Amino acid sequence: MKADLVVIGSGPAGMSAAITAAEYGATVTIVDENPIAGGKLLGQLYEDPNNGWWIGKNVAQALKEKVNRLGITCLQETEVWGISPHWKVQLNTGHEIEATNIVIASGAAEKPVPIPGWTTPGVMAIGAAQVLTNYHRVKPGKKVAIVGVDPLSLTVAHELKMAGVDVIGIFLPPSDEFSLHRSHPKQMISYLSSMSQLAPTKPLKLAGKLAKNRLIQNIGAALYPRNGLKVWGIPLFLRKTVVAIEGNEQVENIKVTHVDSNGMPDRKNVKAIEVDTVCLSGGLSPLAELAGAVRCGFAHIEELGGHVPLHGPEMETTQQGIFVAGNITGIESAQVAMAQGELAGTSISARLGLLHDEADTHIKNAQNQVKKAREKSAITFQPNVECGREKLNRMWHENLATFR
Amino acid sequence: MEEITVQDTIICRCEEVMLSEIINQLESGSETTKELKLKTRAGMGMCQGRTCRPLLEQAVSFHTSNAIPCVSDLTYNTPIRPLALGELARYGKDL
Repeated sequence: MKADLVVIGSGPAGMSAAITAAEYGATVTIVDENPIAGGKLLGQLYEDPNNGWWIGKNVAQALKEKVNRLGITCLQETEVWGISPHWKVQLNTGHEIEATNIVIASGAAEKPVPIPGWTTPGVMAIGAAQVLTNYHRVKPGKKVAIVGVDPLSLTVAHELKMAGVDVIGIFLPPSDEFSLHRSHPKQMISYLSSMSQLAPTKPLKLAGKLAKNRLIQNIGAALYPRNGLKVWGIPLFLRKTVVAIEGNEQVENIKVTHVDSNGMPDRKNVKAIEVDTVCLSGGLSPLAELAGAVRCGFAHIEELGGHVPLHGPEMETTQQGIFVAGNITGIESAQVAMAQGELAGTSISARLGLLHDEADTHIKNAQNQVKKAREKSAITFQPNVECGREKLNRMWHENLATFR
Repeated sequence: MEEITVQDTIICRCEEVMLSEIINQLESGSETTKELKLKTRAGMGMCQGRTCRPLLEQAVSFHTSNAIPCVSDLTYNTPIRPLALGELARYGKDL
């Protein structure tokens, strides 16, 4: 099997890359491990005060219809287990696709939150709860505790509530070598307040405003109400942490204690609270193992979520012909992922000679679209994502000589 | 009301490596994720570190005060997903 372009991952970035290249006339194949195209779009559902409801499922469907109309080959439930030189994409079906260009749009993975008891049945990642609720229409549990405060966990808390789940509260993770600032009440308050202008959903805006309250800012976390403040009827506990999850066959309770304004727990007064489900939110990190296996250059940039493949202004990695788009390049919104996909698809079309003497104009336009999407983007999962992008660009230019 | 009891926790689910084992290794001189992996098998299971990689990196960085390196000490190797030998055999050639 041969193609001009193989796209790995059919989320917002992957499908956009495939559509753009196919529209310019490239033959494209998409490979995706899930049964249905759409990636993380399938779970996304929130109200953006400026642009109305963002219904990811519909966005995914519209992209998929374009993919079908353009005659792009889609291999769902197919895993890529490797890429061998120049370039052959190896599939778990026993097939191999030869292509001069590849887009790796593998997205992100959730970071684990290793609280004692985190492997008990009934504990799940916040993203799993989101897909269960919004896509499969299945309640993850009856009585749910959420651990970890970030835009994703607040959004999912709201979605669970809308689905009729009893969300008993959103708690901080325990202070340890893994949670760092995420277990720190003061830092979480300033993080939430930095989100208040940008926050896309009402509960997020509310949480932001609440944290921005002058009183709370001035006195720091010390006087944040011990019993939390309610965001859409869900208590947001910035002074309580879950130190353990317990249960034999299934989650039965969480152990909760108060923390001081620096996140240090009250070791004496630990209370058991009955729940049947715990959703853990540790943040997202780029899923870059394929780029690693094919020996792309990497950078570790905290602001982007962890290890990301080095890539240039046209989305190409240090391996010629291998491009990246979407959350593998850093944790940002679906809108940014789509614009990055279009940019990668445009750059590849230029390489294939499909854009003739228009190449530079088209690439420049696509780059501007990424910039615009970033400016308009409501959700910034990572604080200082712009600073992370600058670091990455600097590293790309510094290293250019060593790989080109 | 009760007191916090010191509880251990799993770091690598596939190889069932506990946090206490990781900390023991770090306290006895391991300074990289690769050393942790070779000493404890953390990251060597079915998922090849897809879950515990960030935890191992954080543990090392926290206990050594070194920044997480740009190029991970835990290499990524193919196959990056579990693969049945039958599937591999269909290629009819060496890896």
